[in-house]
Order: sequence, then C-alpha cells, then structure tokens
Amino acid sequence: MKVMELAESLSSCRVLVVGAGGIGCELLKNLVLTGFKKIEVIDLDTIDVSNLNRQFLFQKKHVGKSKAQVAKESVLRFCPSANITAYHDSIMNPDYNVEFFRNFQLVMNALDNRAARNHVNRMCLAADIPLIESGTAGYLGQVTVIKKGQTECYECQPKPTQKTFPGCTIRNTPSEPIHCIVWAKYLYNQLFGEEDADQEVSPDTADPEAAWNPADAAARATASNKDGDIKRVSTKEWARSTGYDPVKLFNKLFKDDIMYLLTMDKLWKKRKAPLPLDWTEIHHLEFSQEEACGTGLKDQQVLGVQGYAQLFHRSVETLRSQLIEKGEGAELVWDKDDPPAMDFVTAAANLRMNVFSMNMKSRFDVKSMAGNIIPAIATTNAVIAGLIVLEALKTLNSEFDQCRTIFLNKQPNPRKKLLVPCALDPPNPSCYVCASKPEVTVKLNVHKTIVQALQDKILKEKFGMVAPDVQIEDGKGTILISSEEGETEANNNKFLSDFGIRNGSRLQVDDFLQDYTLLVNLIHSEELEKDVEFEVVGDAPDKAPTPSVPEEGKNIANGNKDSAQPSTSSKAAAEDDDVLIVDSDEEPSSSTMEASPESSNRKRKHHGTDTDDAASKRKRLDQQPADDDEDIIALD
Amino acid sequence: MIDTIEKEENIISEEEAAQYDRQIRLWGLDAQKRLRGSRVLLVGLRGLGAEVAKNLILAGVKGLTLLDHEQVTEESRRAQFLIPVDADGQNQAQASLERAQLLNPMVEVKADTDAVGSKPDDFFFQFDAVCLTRCSKDLMVRVDQLCASRNIKVFCGDVFGYHGYMFSDLGQEHHYVEEKPKVVKGSNEANDGPEAKKPKVDPNETTMVKKTVSFCSFKAALEVDWTNEKAKNNLKRIPVDYFLLQVLLKFRTDKGRDPQPDSFAEDSQLLLQIRDDVLETMGLSSELLPNTFVRFTRPRLGVSQVDRVEQNGTECRLF
Repeated sequence: MKVMELAESLSSCRVLVVGAGGIGCELLKNLVLTGFKKIEVIDLDTIDVSNLNRQFLFQKKHVGKSKAQVAKESVLRFCPSANITAYHDSIMNPDYNVEFFRNFQLVMNALDNRAARNHVNRMCLAADIPLIESGTAGYLGQVTVIKKGQTECYECQPKPTQKTFPGCTIRNTPSEPIHCIVWAKYLYNQLFGEEDADQEVSPDTADPEAAWNPADAAARATASNKDGDIKRVSTKEWARSTGYDPVKLFNKLFKDDIMYLLTMDKLWKKRKAPLPLDWTEIHHLEFSQEEACGTGLKDQQVLGVQGYAQLFHRSVETLRSQLIEKGEGAELVWDKDDPPAMDFVTAAANLRMNVFSMNMKSRFDVKSMAGNIIPAIATTNAVIAGLIVLEALKTLNSEFDQCRTIFLNKQPNPRKKLLVPCALDPPNPSCYVCASKPEVTVKLNVHKTIVQALQDKILKEKFGMVAPDVQIEDGKGTILISSEEGETEANNNKFLSDFGIRNGSRLQVDDFLQDYTLLVNLIHSEELEKDVEFEVVGDAPDKAPTPSVPEEGKNIANGNKDSAQPSTSSKAAAEDDDVLIVDSDEEPSSSTMEASPESSNRKRKHHGTDTDDAASKRKRLDQQPADDDEDIIALD
Repeated sequence: MIDTIEKEENIISEEEAAQYDRQIRLWGLDAQKRLRGSRVLLVGLRGLGAEVAKNLILAGVKGLTLLDHEQVTEESRRAQFLIPVDADGQNQAQASLERAQLLNPMVEVKADTDAVGSKPDDFFFQFDAVCLTRCSKDLMVRVDQLCASRNIKVFCGDVFGYHGYMFSDLGQEHHYVEEKPKVVKGSNEANDGPEAKKPKVDPNETTMVKKTVSFCSFKAALEVDWTNEKAKNNLKRIPVDYFLLQVLLKFRTDKGRDPQPDSFAEDSQLLLQIRDDVLETMGLSSELLPNTFVRFTRPRLGVSQVDRVEQNGTECRLF
C-alpha cells in the first residue's frame, strides 16, 4: 500500500476495542496517537480503586463509573478530534450481532476472560473481520492475529479448562490451603448465597476412599439423601434453625463435622488426621497477644486460631444482618471486595487449615486465591498495547504473512530477547469452531444428564455458546433446547434419555448470534469418574497439579470470575517454564515448524488474564473460570 | 551488602495498599516501599518521556522531576498524551505537569525548564535514578559517570521511528534478590507412624536468593573495540541497531537535532556520510548498516510502512 493510502486509511478506518481496562487504556491511547480516528470501545465494568495503578485514563474521582465512558472522555482530552463511541455493555449482548461486527475493519480484544474471547472469536469469524487477540499477567504478555481462513482461530487449539478439585478433597481430605479456601467459598454460598448441589461442604460419606468395603460406599450413597450427605437438612436450613448462631456454627463445622470425619478411619490411615476445634476451649487457652502491625500491610498478617475464630464470629453476625436486611428469601453474592464476605472466607478457610494442620494464610494471600487475582502492572500492558498497534498496521495493510504471535517474557531467552515472535499457524482443520462443518463427540450418561446441564455446563460453559438452540437428529428434528425464553423450559429437568437420546445420538446445536453450528455426537457411558459429568473425546486430559512446581506460569489465567474454584496464583514466576520454550528471532515458515522438535514447544502459555472483578459488577455468568491457559501441547 | 530500605516512612497507608494492590502482589511490599522512597529525574518529555513519566508515576515513586527546556510544538503535542491541545509555545515539562500529576496524586511531580546540559553535577545527586531521553552522547556519558560515584542508577533511551534503544547502568556492583520457589522435600516423619504423610508443603513458598551483577558504563558500551578477534566473532549477533545508534548520536551531536522528515534529502546525505565515518573508525564495513537505514528514522507512519516492505519484512527491532 502506498504511503498516502495508508495514512488516509487509518483515519477512515473503523476499529472496535473490546475492553477498556489495563490493555484497553494503553491501546486507546496508542490508537489515537497513531492516527486512528474512528474508534468504538466497549466494556461492561466500572472503575475500581485497584485499577488505578495501571488504567491510567481513570482517576480516583472516577471510581464507580463506566470504564468505557471515562476512557472515551479522557482520550478526547488529548485528542479532541477523535471520534470515539463508548458502550457500557457486555460484548455478549445480542445487540452486537454479526452485522454490528461487520461495521469494523478490525477488532482488537483487550479482555480478561475466556468466555468473552471465545465469543468475539466466533463473531469475528462469522463477520470475517480480522481480530487481534492479546493478554497479560504480571510481567508476561502475548499478542496474536486471527484471520479467518488464514490463521488459527482462538479456539483451534484446545485450552485446558479451569482446574477443579474433587468433591471428597474439598469435603473430606483437604491437603492444601486452596482446598480450604474453596470449601470456605462453598460454605458462604450454602449459608448466605445461592445453594448449589455441586458445592456441598459437609462430610461426604460416599467417598470411595473411606469405604473398607467398596459395596458399602455405593450402599451409603444410595441410602443418603443428597450426594452422600446423610443429614437430610440443608446447611442453610440448619443454620436458620439456630438463628445463624456463630458459636453453634463454629462447633458444627470445626468440631462436630470433623469428629464425624474421624470416624471414617480409613481416610486417616495414611494421612494426618484432622484435629477438631472447640469454641470454648480456644478461648481458654493462653495465646500470646497477636503482634502489632509493624511495617507490613495489615492484611498480610497471619493471625492465630483465636483471631480467626473471632473473625468468623464477627463476619457471620455481619452477614446475618445483611441477609435480614435484604428480606425474605434473600441471597448474598460472594465478592472479594465485600469486606465481611472476604473476612468470612478468610476466617473459615484458616480455621479449616488449622484443623488439617496446614500453615494458615494472611487475608492478603487468601484474597489472591479466593478472588483469582492476577497481579498487574502498567508497563506490561503498555508493551503489549504497542505490539497490538504494530500488528494492526500490518493487518490493515493485508500483510498477514508479516503478522506474528509475539510473546513478552520476563527473562531474556538464550538470544537475549525479551520479545519473541512466532509465525502464525494455519487453521486447524478439525477445529470445532472454525472448521467448515464442526463436529465434536461428548461422552456422558444419558440417563443421568439433564437437559439443563447439557445447556449450561456443556454447550455454554464448555463450548462457549451464548444462546444455543438444540435439535435432535432423530428424523423428526425434535427441539430439545430453544434459545427463546420459556419455550423449552419444561425440558430442563428431564433426562436426555427421556427424549430417546442414547449412545450414538447426534445433536445439531446452533448459536444464531455467533452464526455457529456444531454437531454433537453423543456416546453413552456409565463409567465416568466421580464428579465428572461429561468428557469431550479428544481433549487432552486435565492434569492434576504437581505441588512442587510453582503454579504461577500455568496460572496466567483466563477465567477469573468469582467462582468457588479459584486459581492458586502466587508471586513466584515459573521461570523454568520460560526457559523451556525454544525461540528464535524469526520463526521459519510453519511447514518447517512442524518438522522441528522445537516446534511442539513453540506455543506456550496463553497470557490471557482474567480479572478479579466482582460478580456484582457484571452479569453473573454461571460458569467456572478457565484457569490454565496453556497452548503447550501436554508433554507428559 | 544489599541496600537497606532507607530514610523514609515505612508504613504503607490504607490508600496506597488499595491502589497499589495489584503491583504489590507482583513485586512485593518491600519493592513497593523502595519505589515509594525513590526520587527520579526524567529528562525529555516527548513521546518516550511521556510514557516513562506515566509508568513511573503509576508505579508510585516518591518524586519525579520532569526536565525539558524545549517548547511545545504541534509535533510534540501529537507525540504524547500529557500535553493539552492549547499548550503550543509553553515549555514541554510545564505543559505536561498537570496531567502527569493527576495520574497519581501520591507522587510529587515537578517541572524544571532548564536545559539538562546547564545543570551542575550536584543537581543530579538529589536523585536515586536518572532517565535521559533526547540527550547528546557527551551529556549521557557525563551524567552516567558522575552518577556512578554516588550509586545513582542511570537509564538512557531514545526512539527513532520504528527503532530505538534503551541503556541501563545500575553500577559496577548491583545487588539484588531473586525469588525462587522452595524445593519441596517429602518428609516421612509424622506422629502417626512411618506411613503417614504430613500434608503437602505449601507449593507457594519461596525463598530469596542474593545476587550481584555488574553493569558497564555508557561510554564503555559505545566504545567497544571491534577490531579484536572476540568482538569480530560476536559481530553477527549484534543487532544492527547498535550501529544505527552510533550514527544517530553522532548526527545529533553534529546537527544539534535528530533527522527530520522535512529535511530528509539533506539529512539522509549526512547520515550516509556519518555512517561511513563511524564504521570506518570502528574498523568495520559500511555494509553493516545498509543505505536503507536512512528511512528508519522518519517518524511519519506511512513512510515506515514502505521501509518495511523494502527490507523484506524485517521485523521491527524492538529492544
């Protein structure tokens, strides 16, 4: 493209920036200074004080206001001639359909969660608009270009899903602080929030490990009411019956239930047995006065058992009041920025850690884990935003052969580079999103899976659809799920087998918003692992974490919403992981890439980050955040 | 000996804790406190300077002095985002001050309109770190040398179109700590008998390892002897930007300014000449820096696009 043409095309070009946070602020600034004139920016979030260390378009006085709106205003200050449209909205809102996307020459993501990334990926494929994808976490960052038909789409390579822990680990045999924190969040929901059958906190008598005789476990499971829980009263009902008495609650959770666990003696043959706590005894013991704050952050102090018992007491009372205030049938939503909610989880988790002989954690650390907080600084975002614009220019010039995936590392590679470009890969012909007739096979139990679960856990959560329509390929075109509200509600609690679905059945799933059709082949199985509701055939199996390896590198998260299953982000950088990646300055063409053994290491951690934004600030998407976002093909 | 946290107040306020939360979680409270106690000088408030200012202010240093003797022009206003639209004719540092301060009221941001070359040595001694942009080679050499004696960190950098460089001198003996994960060894001793295991050690436990590294001076970095065997062998791995930098610094010294698009014809002639002289003095061939380099420095967007196509897709050499 000739000189003048490019300069002109920049000012006439319409671009969409999805997200006005860390990357978004830097990107908007860069776009405007580069000469882009027609920019639209969308973000559903409002400004929080913790954003101010890097989202420089916002000041303290803006806290609580719309990010997109304030970003626009700030940019106009230094470039009044820019034409910026701001949307305080979710990009997943059906208003932003394929036609909307077709208005733009380029879309740039500045997102922090996988669900939105998946969605924008599909919309850009449907509209055939190039997409620049990016992400950061701490010192690490990444940029890549997605162009339909030419490059891999965002979903061409399966990304490992959020690590979850088995129910019996959470309920019976926690061995790490994270298990206790997840338990505490479940407890919060059971007591004060929306009760969830997958978030049980009481001892699990159906734990296969607990049974001396395998037949016993099965017998107990069927004998009890809910999921191995012999008590026929829900946790919430029980709590209500005691008036949410903190001391009674304390003794039930940290003494009675623990003593019950102790009767399941097989569990403690090879594990250190838990030690119950008693409210009265704790307060009689001589504990040294907890030290004054000193020069650290108050939140970084680790209290003693008494301290956490007190904190438990206080927070239960506060939350109880909140419930009462809200009225009949009220439910609270956990939010790491809500002090009593955070206090409650800190206290409950630590008490449980103490019971199970683990070192207790400060509120600061608990908040990191419970809230899936990804550390963030301005400079990483600044570098990535700069790279986004450089790729954008190539894209607008249709120089796709020049486009690259670029990784920003923390340490220089053997060639002393911090920034490492890699050639883009062509689309995966078996991609279940961008292939011409995408198809996938799912293993589940047709007698035990209900339609609602298919919709929510499989189609929406796993396959990233927003509003699926499902037809059974049974010759009659039976409609199983309709995206129109209310139409197929009656089907929700029925089992798939009730509709004649069995081994080998096929479902045609459409998401009209995403212009996406997926054929789902079903395999009936009665041999799925405990707690596993379905399996996608062909997925790399989820690995259990090896505790000795620092988790941070793997936790460059892309799914950070306040779900009960958080990440274990820590400060320790997984430098070893970085060194494993063999990089060269200029990657050879992809055909040679396939041949070299280095190429399997070439793809690496996807630096998508997920925010820690409170559930209250955005629609509560009922899905678990994805955690490990590795592009590395599993090597073990 | 590791530098201890100095003089200043050691308590982080609630406000700071809330605002700096996400970065404290990355580099730790200790590092945040050190930042909080640091005074930094930033010379040059064009595009690069504005970015550096933003990043340092957001990070929460104690004080940042913006030093620039030049006036705002249309070009400089378009290069950065701190200068208001109606500030033409004002001093660049002054014009940037208000917006810079608003980035983080907890930092003391000041403007200084003097030319950096006119500052006496002791002016620099009040800072913990000095950042130099758009400075002449001689000045950078001078400042780097005088700061070395006081253990003041020096950073130099410039942007030339799509190219640029950054240099850092943290001293001959720079001490730091690196956080490494603690090695987890299984322990089989427990009260419950030989088979019982303790709960796993928290995988997030880390340990601090002390290290020391040595930096060379700016002068030494520029005066590498390329005639000896070892240097010659390394030549292939040296980015061509190193030589580009030498040429541009010489141009800056000779002409008192950087190459401009408006004087492209005249400038490119001089650049080619300087290239020949500089490389010859180093005992190297002119081919090391091909003629096309004269286009690198044109800041205008469209032209650089043409450059890249001509150079057969050579990637932007980001530092």
